[in-house]
Amino acid sequence: MGRKAQSAIVGSGATPYYFRGESAPQAVLELIDKAVLAAVADAGLHIDDVDGLAFFAFGFDTGMIIEQLGLKNVTFAHCVSAFGGGMAGMLDLADMAVSTGRARNVVCIGATQQVGRRVGQALGNFAASPDNIFHRIAGLNGPGQALALSARRHMHEFGTRREAFAEVVMASRAAAATRETAFRRKPLSMDEYMAAPMLADPMCKFDFCLETDGALAFVVTAADRARDRPQPPVYIAGAAQHGSCDWGRAFFWLGQTPEAFVSAGGVKVAERLYQLTGMTPADIDVACLYDHFSPLVIMQLEDFGFCARGEGGPFVESGAIRLDGAIPVNPHGGHLSEAYVVGMTHIREAVEQLRGTAVNQVQGARTALVTGGPAPTPMTAAILRSEP
Amino acid sequence: MRLSITPDFAALEIARDAWSEPFWQWGEQGEVRMPACLHCGAFRWPAGPFCPSCRTQEVEWRPTGQARIHTFTILPISGEATKVRMPTLVEFDDAPGVRLVSVLVDADPDTVAIGMPVAIDWIAASNGKVAVFRTEATGDRA
Repeated sequence: MGRKAQSAIVGSGATPYYFRGESAPQAVLELIDKAVLAAVADAGLHIDDVDGLAFFAFGFDTGMIIEQLGLKNVTFAHCVSAFGGGMAGMLDLADMAVSTGRARNVVCIGATQQVGRRVGQALGNFAASPDNIFHRIAGLNGPGQALALSARRHMHEFGTRREAFAEVVMASRAAAATRETAFRRKPLSMDEYMAAPMLADPMCKFDFCLETDGALAFVVTAADRARDRPQPPVYIAGAAQHGSCDWGRAFFWLGQTPEAFVSAGGVKVAERLYQLTGMTPADIDVACLYDHFSPLVIMQLEDFGFCARGEGGPFVESGAIRLDGAIPVNPHGGHLSEAYVVGMTHIREAVEQLRGTAVNQVQGARTALVTGGPAPTPMTAAILRSEP
Repeated sequence: MRLSITPDFAALEIARDAWSEPFWQWGEQGEVRMPACLHCGAFRWPAGPFCPSCRTQEVEWRPTGQARIHTFTILPISGEATKVRMPTLVEFDDAPGVRLVSVLVDADPDTVAIGMPVAIDWIAASNGKVAVFRTEATGDRA
């Protein structure tokens, strides 16, 4: 394997997950405060030990968080640009901060609260601009509607079947069945899938993820100090970020290159991540892939090299992403079945898998891939490992 | 039979800037034109301030030729059993690299296919005209 890890996740904390809007009257910062305090406690640290904050997707009111938690000595507070695509890049910021001495204990924070707004209609939430006027003309109000255009194109170019989308959802439901934290725990049959109404043909309602509220936080510290903490360290083998005009604003503009259009935008970040860590897809034991929409899981499996471009459909239909398959995907049920907190639950699952405490434990899991969401660039991804 | 609707754009306010303005001006004349770089010839879309290929600013607005469906989706309309909305991405034979986000009108979703040629139609918005597309077969009907 490549370079030695420089940092590790030593604390993991979360609020309960709530159905869309039901976390009120707590404010989103209250949810964040709770997750941070839980993560710090899990790390066996005191809140005064926190001297760094890392965010993505425009972050939160840093000053307010510092005030509410009474932080007195924050020497690093930074945010990955992009939307959900920046999620895993937050670990890169934390890794940089603790490995260069800019901070000792960085808390990575992500949250969502959908009161009076819906992530599923995110494209309609912006003020009119010379660019987004075209989405309005088309009637593309949400990411799912826009990504259905890519899903159809993937079917057209590669013969991908709706049965493959169904398998992604069914595998997710099968995993969620045993999860107390999951909203959709009832197993799904192919017949039920095929009978569901289309929301954006070729995507039916089951291809769309949940819309939920919650906050999660993770404490990252330098690798050489990680073993002093009570929990088994989950090392950041590497985290990568990549932006390119080939993918650009993705579904916000739909001007990707023809190759990128039928991808999840992760090809370059995957290349960079594998190069950085000296690892390959064959070294990954669990894949926690950002599953806002089921076809995008198939495209990410291709982007990250678990199968060739265009073969993602047959690959998932073969059972490869089940718990006992070639590459177990989202054993926590992911966004499709457990909860949606902008990818943060995927880091939590990776941590639990590598601590050996996951509800659906992949036997002997030592490495986990975590991806940011296929969304406007930069795209990010990370590999976590149980050994440095 | 299901049919895709023609949305009502009467109240739609088209946001424009200096670079996108010619697109809407050509639209008033019933033509889709796209900006090509005066230096390297590459089309760019959106009509931004720089050519992503050579960083030149100046463009000329060129005719785009036959439009074709690159992909599309079918959106249900609440309370309507036979009406749908059909967002589409259209490409142009003479403007490689450009993809226009629009809507297919009067189309039968069961017969629409990727690669189909489509005809342009223009619908009035509050401050300009919007380019929409119809499959040529149903276009003849009108």
